[in-house]
Amino acid sequence: MSMQALNRLVARSIIDPSVLQAFGAGRISDVLADLNFSSDIRRSLSGLQAESWSEFAVQAYRMVQAAEQPVVRIQLPSPVEGLLNEGRTDQEQVA
Amino acid sequence: MNPITRDERRWFLRCLAFGLYEYLGAVAPPIPVEGLLKHPPALYQDDFGVVDMYSTLWDATFARPPNRPGSVFVRIDLPPDERRLALARELLSALITSRHGRAIGLVEFLMPDLKESGEYFARHLLAPEPLLEAYRRRGGEEEGVAEAFGLPDASARLRWKESAALL
Repeated sequence: MSMQALNRLVARSIIDPSVLQAFGAGRISDVLADLNFSSDIRRSLSGLQAESWSEFAVQAYRMVQAAEQPVVRIQLPSPVEGLLNEGRTDQEQVA
Repeated sequence: MNPITRDERRWFLRCLAFGLYEYLGAVAPPIPVEGLLKHPPALYQDDFGVVDMYSTLWDATFARPPNRPGSVFVRIDLPPDERRLALARELLSALITSRHGRAIGLVEFLMPDLKESGEYFARHLLAPEPLLEAYRRRGGEEEGVAEAFGLPDASARLRWKESAALL
């Protein structure tokens, strides 16, 4: 959802000078308020520091992408696993 | 800031192309890229234009002569699909070097990989994702993209693959 909103914002910025004006005046939060960002993302984006609009856009992309990626849990083997025999011979286990 | 990656640059270019596509309000291909250059948004009044040239050196190039609006100088004898692609590619140079483009910071982001960026931008401007999706829903296939969107065959096939990768 937030990525779609960001796509629209960056697309709009190429033909609508008001986006750049708001960014330059430190009022990008006014523009973000009209778009369908989650409240957390909107707050984070409002606090981004960037030297140019393009830099802001890419930082925002990284932020939104990271927020929207599903959390990957590291699948560690159970500690019990090594204690199970599971048909191995003693020789294989020693090797 | 960490350097921009290829994927990030491509995302950014897709957004730029999408912005112009939305401005045009096109509901079906082909995208009128020459019309966009000849009748640009007010923001780019002094930056876009098309001049036909007799040349055997290049297909098209963007130039900004002193005290004159920028224009894409395009070879007059190009086939229509190649002309459209060349105009769309050079449109990115017009955007980057425009007053608004410089204010946005496009020069720093896109100049280093201009050739690759221009070609990617052109494919996405001439075959916007929503129109390509609609084409696919109607049963359109890879073989017909070039004709439907007015693109050279190699670019159309590349665009089809890019679209599949984005699904």
